[in-house]
Amino acid sequence: MLERTYKNLSKIWMVVFSIGLVALIMKFITGERLAGYGSYVPWGLWVALYFHFVGIAGGVFALGTLGYIFNLTGFRENFRVVIIVSVASVITGLFAIWLDLGQPFRFTRILYAPNFGSMMAFNAWMYTFFIITAGVIFYLTLNKAKQTDFHDKKRWVLPLMSLGFLFSIAFPSQSGAFFGVVDAKPFWSSPLLPILFLVSAITSGGAVLLLVYTFLHYEEFDLTHQPFKMLRYTIIGGIIFYFVAEFAEYSLVFWSPNSHIREAVELILFGPFWWVFWFVHLGGALVALYLLLKGKTYQTVGTGAFIVAVTFVSARLNILIPGQAVAELKGLKEAFYHERLRFDYSATLNEYLIALFIGAFGVALVYFGIKFLSQFTKKKLGTEL
Amino acid sequence: MRTAGVVGGGVAASVAAVTASRLSPPPEVPTGKETIRDIPEFKTVEINEKSDILIRMQAELKKALAKPVEERRWMMVIDTRKCVGCHACTVACIAENKLPPGVVYRPVVQEEIGEYPNTQLRFFPRPCMQCEEPSCVAVCPVNATWKRPDGITQIDYDKCIGCRYCISACPYGARTSDFGEYYTEDTPELQPYELLSSNEYGKSWNREGHNSPIGNARKCHFCLHRLNEGELPMCVSTCVGRANYFGDANDPDSLVAEMARQHNQVKLLEEKGTKPSVIYLI
Ligand code: SF4
Ligand code: SF4
Repeated sequence: MLERTYKNLSKIWMVVFSIGLVALIMKFITGERLAGYGSYVPWGLWVALYFHFVGIAGGVFALGTLGYIFNLTGFRENFRVVIIVSVASVITGLFAIWLDLGQPFRFTRILYAPNFGSMMAFNAWMYTFFIITAGVIFYLTLNKAKQTDFHDKKRWVLPLMSLGFLFSIAFPSQSGAFFGVVDAKPFWSSPLLPILFLVSAITSGGAVLLLVYTFLHYEEFDLTHQPFKMLRYTIIGGIIFYFVAEFAEYSLVFWSPNSHIREAVELILFGPFWWVFWFVHLGGALVALYLLLKGKTYQTVGTGAFIVAVTFVSARLNILIPGQAVAELKGLKEAFYHERLRFDYSATLNEYLIALFIGAFGVALVYFGIKFLSQFTKKKLGTEL
Repeated sequence: MRTAGVVGGGVAASVAAVTASRLSPPPEVPTGKETIRDIPEFKTVEINEKSDILIRMQAELKKALAKPVEERRWMMVIDTRKCVGCHACTVACIAENKLPPGVVYRPVVQEEIGEYPNTQLRFFPRPCMQCEEPSCVAVCPVNATWKRPDGITQIDYDKCIGCRYCISACPYGARTSDFGEYYTEDTPELQPYELLSSNEYGKSWNREGHNSPIGNARKCHFCLHRLNEGELPMCVSTCVGRANYFGDANDPDSLVAEMARQHNQVKLLEEKGTKPSVIYLI
């Protein structure tokens, strides 16, 4: 059964990867000309994906660490999987934002000539530290007497894991702050934003971890046992919390007579992309909630987790695009006309195909990461990951 | 009979005299071809600092340039009552800086005030405000955007990675991204004017392949390359209504400083705390 699923999935992956690769090559030949974003909405689908993937990375690591510290069955001995999925997600997110740069081959400047006053440079450094910390933790977990032990032989795992945990909580929240500091966009200047980003990170991170565990451990664990139980409840709680917070924010806007951000919220709910909120975001969450609550098989629960992992990118898009789509200076839109000087944005085919490539790239990183590092741990410990 | 004839002749003579006086020019006005040169010539307007503000501003520019760079602070005042919305400044700026499609430094925003039928149109050109507290500088992750000592916010095209964070952060929408497009793309060949290099920030930039400024953020820089040569920004020179004032805000006697002291001045989106160096008179 799993064999067949694997086969079908790898076929789908191949198709997605190949089409995406063609789109990617075209992007490198033509620069940004095939992209649909412009100067008034300068960030589009790839930026949303970046925030989504780094959020997943943070969520995966935070949940994995909690499971490790509280010794929930299946977490301690599988912590290396957590590290692989988390690091693979950060790298995928960074890949997405790298593609979005107008001068991508200068990206290293952010590392050797940063302005730490900028949230972007700060984040870039944090990801770097996180990847290094995660790598060291990976190595230290090989130095344990028993894989279910808390400490490694030199007792370095806990302090480093605490640091990693801090990073993993910080970077989704800082993604929210990334927007929050932009005073030019009133919709983004909400103190709730870092919280929303953190909650969606935990929710989608939990979903990805659940999906990976479903593939890796469906034979070992019962659905009612850890880690499935903990992850299922976390995702369910996360979805509910996210929508309550979102409701609080939107309802406030409609109750306030002169809200600056009303236009942005109206765009989300009733604008040309209303279906993203109602069908993808809300609809996806409701279907996922049903599957996660009622699901009795790995397939249904896994599908629920998959839906959350994919549709929660709409939460990012619904913050990103409407925040930019309202002009602060009224009349600017009409002052000078050009396709790139519009306040509406629709992703182009090239952007969608590259988004698929980014997804396929992330899946490949996780898959080959687990394969490759399994061989490595096999040599080192005599057992796989 | 005779009397009647005299009377009749007298009336006819006086009528003829009146008619003649109406039809012929008064005796003091010379007539005839050869007298045309005697018509007094119109006085030509004397071009000096009093008759044209451009001359005064040009002179003040030279004075400011004689000072060390950190002692000048460039400022622009735009009189919206004089702006007729002709967009000449927008076009002149495009030509001066060789701007490609989708890149604009100085659009003219049109504002309708009041409700029909009691409406009025107002135009306000929108260059980069060269803010004293620019949000674009704060967010740039690689210090590619920075504040010059003379108040101009400069972009270093060689450092800019094209992340467009500054574009998002500018409340005035003053930055646009160069997407590497050409006006005559998809025609048999690109026209030479599109391939001319621009001279921004004291360097010659050729837009080719993916070279800067393609992929970078771009914006108005008060025509820094012209200022360094003692010339006013192109939009100021071009303005038919003389609606723009430009100069050194640190010189209290300058025309721009004088204008900036007017009671009817406003700054755009002041609540954002960016402290713009562009002032509007309304
Ligand atoms: S107007 Fe915008 S681009 Fe210009 S200095 Fe101010 S914030 Fe920066
Ligand atoms: S686009 Fe360039 S100038 Fe603007 S923030 Fe990014 S690196 Fe800095």
